[in-house]
Formats: sequence, structure tokens, C-alpha cells
Amino acid sequence: MSTTTAPIPIDVNATEHVPMSRLAAVEFRKALDTRAGRWFAASIVALVLVVLTIYALATAATEKNYEDFISIAGFVLGYFIPILIIMLVTSESSQRNGLVTFALEPRRSRIIIAKLLAGLLLAACVMVLAALMAVIATLFGSLTGGTPEWGVDGNLLFNGFVLANLIGVLVGFAIATLLMNTAAAIVVYFVYTFILPTAVGILSALSEGFEKVAPWIDFNTAQLPLFEGDYIPNGEEWAQLAVTGTIWLIIPLFLGIQRLLRIEFK
Amino acid sequence: MITVEGLTKAYGGFKAVNDISFVAQPGRVTGFLGPNGAGKTTTMRVMVGLTPATHGRATIGGHLYHDIPNPGRHVGVLLDASAQHAGRTGREILTIGAKTMGLPETRVDEMLHLVSLSDTEAKRRLRNYSLGMKQRLGIAHALLGDPSVLILDEPANGLDPAGIRWMRTLLKGYADRGGTVFLSSHLLNEVELIADEMILIGMGTIVAQGDKKSLLAMDTNVSSLVMSLDNARLTEALQQKGHTVAAEGEGLRVNCAPEDVGRVALEAQVVLVDLRSGAAGLEDLFLELTSESQRDELPEGATA
Repeated sequence: MSTTTAPIPIDVNATEHVPMSRLAAVEFRKALDTRAGRWFAASIVALVLVVLTIYALATAATEKNYEDFISIAGFVLGYFIPILIIMLVTSESSQRNGLVTFALEPRRSRIIIAKLLAGLLLAACVMVLAALMAVIATLFGSLTGGTPEWGVDGNLLFNGFVLANLIGVLVGFAIATLLMNTAAAIVVYFVYTFILPTAVGILSALSEGFEKVAPWIDFNTAQLPLFEGDYIPNGEEWAQLAVTGTIWLIIPLFLGIQRLLRIEFK
Repeated sequence: MITVEGLTKAYGGFKAVNDISFVAQPGRVTGFLGPNGAGKTTTMRVMVGLTPATHGRATIGGHLYHDIPNPGRHVGVLLDASAQHAGRTGREILTIGAKTMGLPETRVDEMLHLVSLSDTEAKRRLRNYSLGMKQRLGIAHALLGDPSVLILDEPANGLDPAGIRWMRTLLKGYADRGGTVFLSSHLLNEVELIADEMILIGMGTIVAQGDKKSLLAMDTNVSSLVMSLDNARLTEALQQKGHTVAAEGEGLRVNCAPEDVGRVALEAQVVLVDLRSGAAGLEDLFLELTSESQRDELPEGATA
């Protein structure tokens, strides 16, 4: 073997890097091109529709305003959008296609950004659909005896709907990157959103001191002001959001991304 | 071309690959041969930047893989045909690849046609594919971007004999047009037929490299296998000339070249019915060179 021959270079100057728009578009497609992904997304939308219909039939005529419907839709979405993100991220390792993804774009940070963009776009699409369904539900509500108000409090729309779901996307992303396993990530996500608040609730009921501390250490409790009252957290509540957000979101997200940048995809 | 220089990959104290260097030239098919767990896959993973090297480096056309823009357009990679989302259809897997690389949808059809996957097969989900079909899809994926370098890990795995022949023709043609083909296998016969150049690896180190002829020349034990109508007389005549003779099967093994055996037989006027070189074939050489890393011990005295 002649190791003395001059290396024969490949000219890569004429080749452009894969643009972020293309990476994000591919990741968006990957979220919906499997049966699991497509059905899960469709189920979320269907579930929102079912919940809104039941609400329209069951509630008092005075509470059938557009605002009521959209906040319910936002609440339901908040639980399920993170799972879509979890599936999108963890499939790279659970389904092992990371081998191909990262061979086609070895700069992993770009795939991470693309996935986050795709996740946000996906969440935005689902939210728009939910907002439209809330319109239909409000019309339906007026048929069943309501006199709906169509006005929406901008704070509700931004904090209770957009911001809360944005947090959901990031939470899903953080858990997914930390665990890189679909089943484990979904389980942990449910513990995080259902069991943790219950535990906090029990502890708060048992101890008065804990009740005061809870919003400072539990992210779910700290998020409540986004959905309640005038939908504007006051100064202290923003601070609680920032503190718990750092503990439960920023730090896991940071560690998760570090992990995703380093792990060997097998 | 692919250049590997002093590459080492250690996992804790275990060296999966230990200071290996080699070159895979354009226009040639280079076979990377070794028993299971010899370090073949690790080496290929380092080449495409999926695993960081502990020491040394691997470059493709003078670039680290990480630095190649849109690498799918330059390097075709198939590391594991099963490493795809099982819920995607074959066509969708190729479409995602084509979209990432910025290729038109027609390229997907071309590749499906090239690897003989029918439209119905392309619409099936990967979990319903046989290993051979996955392998074809994987090769199609590697060829999508019309790369000048191919890195294929065990590409013939799971293909039927006709499929193996098809792949051989495909890769030969690819190398003839100036492409660099680097493929691994643990099956010598597979590589022997297709590779112009062979690199033998065992326990993370390269034990031999070169073309078939130069590898065979490494075997210095000259011997012949001979059969005659009168083996007893031939044995006597050979022993008189100072050769060592041993019975083997229905014939004899002699420690000299076939030519010498022929001369002795001519003098002794014994009719030969079979005479050939008893030198170890590539397989023996391969087993001998990698014997330390073989999991299974050969039965004593066994030859191919």
C-alpha cells in the first residue's frame, strides 16, 4: 500500500452547508411522517375537540365565552404537546435513526436547534388549530343557549396559551434530551406533570409552611398564575417562575443538550 | 480517498482500536476484514464523526468528516441498515435523506429503481422489511447524494447470492468510475471477490494489508499436495531426496514446491493424478493472523 502518494483531496468549496430552514423542515416532517407521530398529533386535536364539546354542553350559559373555550383548549394542549416533542427527540436514539441524522449533519448543535424550531412550529400549528376549534365550540355553545362574548384578554392569550405551551415544549425537550429514551421520557414527563403537583398538594395541605414555599420550588405551582385571575403574574410570581424555571427547566435543558452533543449514537 | 492516521479509540482501559493507519484509494474497492469485535465498526464510526477518536484521526479527501459541508453529497454512509425509524416507509426514509441534502424527489425514484425496490415495497414500513431489503434501502440511502466516497459496514449482510453479486457489480462499477469504496465484512469470501485491496484487523490492530497476491505471498511455508497411482513409491522417492512427506486424505503433503514434486515423480516414473500448491489460502492466513482475537479455537490440524 502506497502511503507515500499525495492525498487526493475532495473539493468541498462549491458545496453549501445544509441551511437551517431545510434542517428544521425535515425535522418537522419527521414528527409527522410515522404512524405514531401522525396519530398522536391527530389525537391531541381530537381530544381538544371532545373536551370543548363536553364543556359546551355541560356548562352554564354565562360561561360559554370564547375566552373560556380557548383557555380550556390551551390547558389540554399543555399536557400533550411536550409528548410530541419527546417523541421527536428521543426517536433518534430509541429508533436509532440518529446514526443517519448525525451522519448527514455532523454539527449536532444545528440538529438540536432544528428540532427545537420544528417543535415550536408544531406547537404553533396545534395551537392555531385549537384556537380555531375554540371558535367552533363557541358557536356551538351559542346554539346550546349561550350568549358568548368573543373578546379575549391579551394576557390570557399570551401567558395562559402561548407562554404556557412554550414552557411545555421546552420541558419536553429537556426531559427528552436528558433521557434519550421514548418510554422513559414519557413516564418521567407524567410524573413531572401529574404526580409531582399531587405530592406538592398533599404536602401543602399537611404543612402550612410548605404551602408558602411550594411556589418557590415547584414549577407547576409557580405556573398557576399564568392560567388564573387576570393571567398576569405579579412581581413575586414572576420571580417564583424564574426560580423554579431555572431549577426544573433551564438546568435540565442545559444538561440535556450537553448530553445530546456528546453521546455516541449506536 | 480515506486516510486513517494513528487512530486509537479507547473505552476506559479497553482499546477498541489501537493505533491503526491505512489509506483507501480512489478507483479501488478496499475491504476491511476482521472477526466480530475486531474494531471494524468503531473505525468506521470514527471516520464519519459519530465517535470521537482518542488519538489520531481519519480524513476523507483531506477533510475531517465534521468539516465537510452537506457531507451526504460527498460521502455515502451505511453503518447499520436497521438504524432507521421502524415506522417510516422505505420511500419516506429516502425522501428525508434527499430533502436534507437538498436533492429533488426524482432522485428517490432513481435510487429505488437502482436497488430494485418496487413501488409497493417502497410503501411498506421498515419494520416489515427483510434484512436484505433493509440492506438494499441502506445502499440506496448511501448513494443518494452521488458521493465520491462510500463507507459501508457489512453491506452484504443478509443479501441473497444474487443480491451479493448485484452489489459486487454495483460497487466495482462505482470504483471503476473513480469512486473510493471502503467496505467491511467478517466474511473473507465476500471481500476476496470484490476488494482490490484488503485490510485485515484483529483485536483493534491491523495484522496485514495489501492486495490478494501480496497477502498470499506472506505465507512462507512452501508445500504441495499430490496424488499418484502409487503413493508408496512416490513417498519413498521423495524421502530419498530429503523431503518430508505426510499422508493427507487420499494423497500426500510434501514440504516443497509442486515443481520439485513433479521432477521427482518424473524420475521415479510415477503417474500423478493431482498436483497443486499446498500453501495456505487467504482464509487460513486470515484465521492465522487473527487467531488471537478469534472466539472459537480451530480443531487441531484443520485446514481449509
